[in-house]
Amino acid sequence: MLEVAAIASLLSGGLCGLLGYYAQRFNIATLSFSVAHAALAGASLALVIKSDVTYSALVFAILFALGMGIISTRISPHERELISMGFFSLFNAIAIFMVYMSTSYVLSTVSISVVLWGSVLAITKSKLILLAGITAIFMLYLFIFKPQIDSILFDRKLAKAEGVDVDLHTIVLLLFIGIAIAFALRLTGGFLVFTLLYNPVASAMQLVRKAQWQQVLAPTIGMLAALLGLTFSYILDWPVGATIAIISSTILMVAYITRTIINMKLSREARRAQISRGR
Amino acid sequence: MEAIQGEAIRLSDVWVAYSGSGRPAIREINLKIDYNSLILITGPNGAGKTTLIETCLGLLKPIRGEVFLLGVNTKSRKIIKVRRKCSYVPQDFMKPPYESYTAKHVIKLGLATDMCLFGLSDLEIKRRILNVAKMLQIEDLLDRPIGTLSGGQQQKVYIARALVREPKVLFLDEPFSSIDEESRYVIAKVIHEYVHQKKACALVVSHDVDPIIDLSDIIVHMDNGKITNVEVN
Repeated sequence: MLEVAAIASLLSGGLCGLLGYYAQRFNIATLSFSVAHAALAGASLALVIKSDVTYSALVFAILFALGMGIISTRISPHERELISMGFFSLFNAIAIFMVYMSTSYVLSTVSISVVLWGSVLAITKSKLILLAGITAIFMLYLFIFKPQIDSILFDRKLAKAEGVDVDLHTIVLLLFIGIAIAFALRLTGGFLVFTLLYNPVASAMQLVRKAQWQQVLAPTIGMLAALLGLTFSYILDWPVGATIAIISSTILMVAYITRTIINMKLSREARRAQISRGR
Repeated sequence: MEAIQGEAIRLSDVWVAYSGSGRPAIREINLKIDYNSLILITGPNGAGKTTLIETCLGLLKPIRGEVFLLGVNTKSRKIIKVRRKCSYVPQDFMKPPYESYTAKHVIKLGLATDMCLFGLSDLEIKRRILNVAKMLQIEDLLDRPIGTLSGGQQQKVYIARALVREPKVLFLDEPFSSIDEESRYVIAKVIHEYVHQKKACALVVSHDVDPIIDLSDIIVHMDNGKITNVEVN
């Protein structure tokens, strides 16, 4: 069971870290935040209708990603941010409401822990195979459409002007985010799943400036945070989702402090060089 | 796709406004642009020149009137495929020093839509890149990261990216703004030769008219969002 959880944490951390990198570069971080909470609302609904948490989260996340993906091609980025934040509140409310509606029997099962703080027990072999499949499909997508995706990452407007279907690639990316989150939710819980998407890329951006390095570092940090979180939660008997979130947030803090120290050193050296030139 | 022969772009009573702005950025635009022609669009700041180019490409949708690019209405979803036959050199092109894509890679990105599994061969891509680099005299810049190049050098790389696509329609927004005096005339000549050799058309927005005015077939003057004068050279 622990081996399955370890592999799942590596896959979830790596896939979410990579998706987070693309979400940030595609400028859809807020939208993916709402997709994560759509998955949470779906997972919570599963408690009431007594269905599988992952599949219910998957349906909610995919429908929302598809709907908002299509709508966002017709509205400005500013409007998209506002609508996304509105949905974030709505999905949180739905999640809380569904937990409130759950019977006492449901509240004592493993399902509730999956929705709220994640569970090692919730990761089965069949879910692991599906997660591995999704990871493989996403890597294949990146391989086939690498030139178009690179073009969007380099200059979104220019890519659009040259006939790259930027809107379609954005919707596809949102769908992958929705699917990945629905699976990763079993490990981290619905309220913290976004940390796997956001914290690794935020840390990578603090540590390196070149996009190519960020692309490698973000999934690496994601895998490291998920695996360390799982290990600490096992040793200390802490909730796995919260432990992963604490580890990834600590990495982000360390990365931020490192970047600040480097920036201070660089500006001090630049000042010294300026003074010596003045003499 | 090219419904109307000889006509690359047609704008009929086009009005465009940015969201949140009450005043249209361009209005009452009627223009027909044929193949095998070089069009110079000139006018003061805020005249609507960039808006006109982005409207022709379908990046901005008109609130009134219709725009046809290579015979396809820019409101249609088919416009995405039509844009593959066009190239654009934007006004805001500067990349920061840490941008590590090499000039060669940036030019190659121009072929992104032709580089699917059964698209252009590596040999053809290499040939095209070397060809445009030679035309624009930037062979020595190809392996340098774009962020380390000067504004003028970056601008030449973007023009190379536009030409490597061998487009039917070229849109160039202030292509001489960062380029030195001598190179401006070289680039203007390259654009002119390309248009007439390939029977394509080019829309060049420029404040600096000297390098290109004599090579232009039509000169469109804009002011306050309207076309104020059209001269045939």
